[in-house]
Amino acid sequence: MMQEHEDPKFEQWLKGTAKSYHTPHPTPREEMWKRIEDARRNKHVIELRPWMRWAVAAAAVLILGIGIGRWTAHQPVAMVAAADSTAPAQSDLAYQVAATQYLSHTEAFLTSFRTDIGSHGAANSARFAGQARDLLSTTRLMLDSPAAKDQRLRSLLEDLELVLVQISQLDPSHDGHDTDLITQGMNQSNVLPKLRSAIPAGPVPVRTEGAL
Amino acid sequence: MDESQLIARVRAGDSAAERALYNAHVDRVYRLAFRLAGDDALAQDFTQETFIRAFDRLGSFRGDAAFSTWLHTITTTVVLNGLRKVKRFRQREADLGDAHDIGTAPRHAEPDLKARLKQAIDDLPEGYRTVFVMHDVEGYTHEEIGVALGVETGTSKAQLSRARAKLRVALSDFAGEWVQ
Repeated sequence: MMQEHEDPKFEQWLKGTAKSYHTPHPTPREEMWKRIEDARRNKHVIELRPWMRWAVAAAAVLILGIGIGRWTAHQPVAMVAAADSTAPAQSDLAYQVAATQYLSHTEAFLTSFRTDIGSHGAANSARFAGQARDLLSTTRLMLDSPAAKDQRLRSLLEDLELVLVQISQLDPSHDGHDTDLITQGMNQSNVLPKLRSAIPAGPVPVRTEGAL
Repeated sequence: MDESQLIARVRAGDSAAERALYNAHVDRVYRLAFRLAGDDALAQDFTQETFIRAFDRLGSFRGDAAFSTWLHTITTTVVLNGLRKVKRFRQREADLGDAHDIGTAPRHAEPDLKARLKQAIDDLPEGYRTVFVMHDVEGYTHEEIGVALGVETGTSKAQLSRARAKLRVALSDFAGEWVQ
């Protein structure tokens, strides 16, 4: 039985007309396949392994416990000793979590940059340049941190540093050539697929949901 | 070679089989990603991410449903999560920013029917828009949509009906186009 709001003529017309909605380009098979291969080749590297996710969760509980303990403690000396004994593990995990947050944020920024840079003029360039400078500071801190002991993460951070330097120096009066060069460079170095491969697909706390 | 044999070869590490599986499905994945994202760069990103995940997780594909159904479940997850992430990022920047609104299309009178239709589809709630694009634009069945989005078939039908109703209201100025 036809419902009150159904209108076969409209639906027929709509189906025909809506084919023009976001009409796809021809599939760029080769380009995408190359990036998929490269990303998969680089995949094993800097993601948090499953056991590390548990370790992060355990560390979070431990840190919370220590926090509560410190807050309620009547014996501060003993508590400090306990905290010191767990400090190196917490520190490594903290760097891993910070790295994941940073990578997620940078991925969203570069995705947005590539999509939006051409469409909003000089104000947009200035905004992206400012954001890139902020991320660049974090990138350099990450490069100097123990997280960069991992050679592949270090290599990714160096690629990101280069891209962010270029974006941070964007001239608001640019004619589009600079941004084309930046996006071409991003595509050639596969920086976004590498970045995505480095972000673990784990449970919410590990993926740092809400960091963006 | 049928698809189940191809999948078995991919699981065994055959890179030629990976490419063959990719070739067999990439067009439909990319089309859906493009229709939902409306942007070539994003569509490429989402397509790549879909295949990377699919190859990584092929071990968990049990063959209960068609491979294409399983793949489109990954596609919709990747695309919708990706679009939410981009939207959140743009929204946050817009909130932080000054009067320049980034990523929100200017709303102004648009006399062109296709542009109005595009805007009306863009303005649909995410669930309605996804079902509408998959069914009316890309030709997926309600069963395929239900599996891909993890909803009942009836929910897919109801969302499509509501999406069409909203579009009819949004396009009422153009009623002469279909009432003939």
